[in-house]
Amino acid sequence: MRARIPLALSALLVLIPLLVAILGPLITIDVKPGLPYEKGGLLGTDGLGRDVFSLLLAGGRTALGMALGAVVIAYLIGGLIGLLAASTRHRWVDEALIRPLDVLLPLPSLLVISVVAVGWRASPLAITLAVAMVNVPTVARLVRAAALDAASGPVVEALRMQRESWIGIHLGYVGRAVLGPVAADIGTRITLAVFLVASVNFLGLGLSPTAPDWAVSVSRNREGLLLQPWAVLAPALLLVSFTLGFNLLADRLVHRTRRLVEAKR
Amino acid sequence: MRSYAGQRAALAVVQLAVLSILVFVLTALLPGDAADMRFTETLTPEQIAQLRAQLGLDRPALERFTHWFGNVLTGDLGTSLISGGPVLDIVKASVGATLVLTLATLAIVVPLAVALGILMGTRENGRLDRTITSITLALSAIPDFVIAVVLVALFSLKLGWLPATWVGGSLLTNPVLLVLPVAVLLGRTVCLLSRQVRAGTINALHADYVVQARRLGVPRRRLLLRHVLPNAAVPGVQELARTGDTLLGGVLVVEAIFAIPGFATALVDGVETRDVPVVQGLTLVLAVAALLINLGADLVCNRLVPRTELLR
Repeated sequence: MRARIPLALSALLVLIPLLVAILGPLITIDVKPGLPYEKGGLLGTDGLGRDVFSLLLAGGRTALGMALGAVVIAYLIGGLIGLLAASTRHRWVDEALIRPLDVLLPLPSLLVISVVAVGWRASPLAITLAVAMVNVPTVARLVRAAALDAASGPVVEALRMQRESWIGIHLGYVGRAVLGPVAADIGTRITLAVFLVASVNFLGLGLSPTAPDWAVSVSRNREGLLLQPWAVLAPALLLVSFTLGFNLLADRLVHRTRRLVEAKR
Repeated sequence: MRSYAGQRAALAVVQLAVLSILVFVLTALLPGDAADMRFTETLTPEQIAQLRAQLGLDRPALERFTHWFGNVLTGDLGTSLISGGPVLDIVKASVGATLVLTLATLAIVVPLAVALGILMGTRENGRLDRTITSITLALSAIPDFVIAVVLVALFSLKLGWLPATWVGGSLLTNPVLLVLPVAVLLGRTVCLLSRQVRAGTINALHADYVVQARRLGVPRRRLLLRHVLPNAAVPGVQELARTGDTLLGGVLVVEAIFAIPGFATALVDGVETRDVPVVQGLTLVLAVAALLINLGADLVCNRLVPRTELLR
């Protein structure tokens, strides 16, 4: 299939907000607070009279950092559980690892995160951990399924007959075979995590309502959308650019793995 | 079939028991309780301690749990610490708006997503498929609150066509109120669901039995409805159960933006005021609802394609 959207564009969509988030806090612009919703300056001011552009630079770290951190933690825990469950020879170990997660699956995620966020006084670490926890069951199941697929193939059989070590087989071969489906999943999972973090912050249950965070900015300035659109649109566009970019990258990966699977047949 | 349904129902019962413990633990762990939140400025520490004893907040967690769980089994969700009324009343008062919102969304999402999915799947990689795929991919990357904020600005503030917030009255007698909230909720769910139906359709169309049926001259209409759709629906139904989670998150956001007095609004209020019994009650009801949806989805899938195994 022909590439519909060039790779460079998808990467750029991800990179712009990412660079703003990473480098933004290092840049300090000294702008005196003005009146609410003024049009002057690069992007005008927000509802509290603060410069929108300098807020944008400061607000990416929480908006993206918490989501990315959550996905990393979810994969560290869920990935380990999934790999262990898939590679054990004892069925009860598999059951003991995966069954408890089945119970957690139907818990509404935004609910769990909201309760945790409010409970721990909006600590970014608590929210990150909560977002990670709601993602662990799905990640564990995905990794387990992908690893079982690889572990039941002839390659593992051959490696075992060559007396390859357990670690060599499972981390070396199965671990690498899992990377394909995992890479495709990470893209959509990051989008989801950004959504969850942003929704909690938007609802006012997360970070303080004056925080520079992009989602908080959208929420705080939404009444002024017609007066000074950039106070809402600029942070919203950065968020959307990031999630859209990741969605496009994930879609490419899904197509590529599918083509590889078809080619193997 | 019966054994599958039995096993699946047994799992649901275990899930229910564990969920209720989890709900209790999660909410009981909340630092700071209602006694703190209500009166920190006006009461002395002794008075707060007295209030806490009166509300039963000073007893050990295990005792509170058995008490709460025993009551839940008899249908008593406890008493609100803030209003003093039964939690069940709060649940009853708020469930209506949320249910109307969710059902109205689902009534549009399901037929639309199935139609789009089949339309795309039967024209794999055609121009129409590629266009709709790109649109759904892009649309599913926009957070619902961004869609909501933009739609409100456009249709309520600028054009003045639709109300921006709930102004009283019932959602049913005044369906105009539903237009914007449902439009917001449609966006992502239709995208997620139609992509699954598309993938299911494509898989089914490539399956040997469909190829064979086509060779035998089964009419296209019958082929699609009788052979492709049931198999294509499986990922769709499973996704629908998962979409429930997305939808619920969306409903929370939408209720907050449009000030709809539903479940989410009651929940956010309860969490903010540390009204633990209310949060426990609402969370439990939501978790049970999510559980039943998952149970239903699995049973439907098993009925459509009776080869799904519970113990993979």
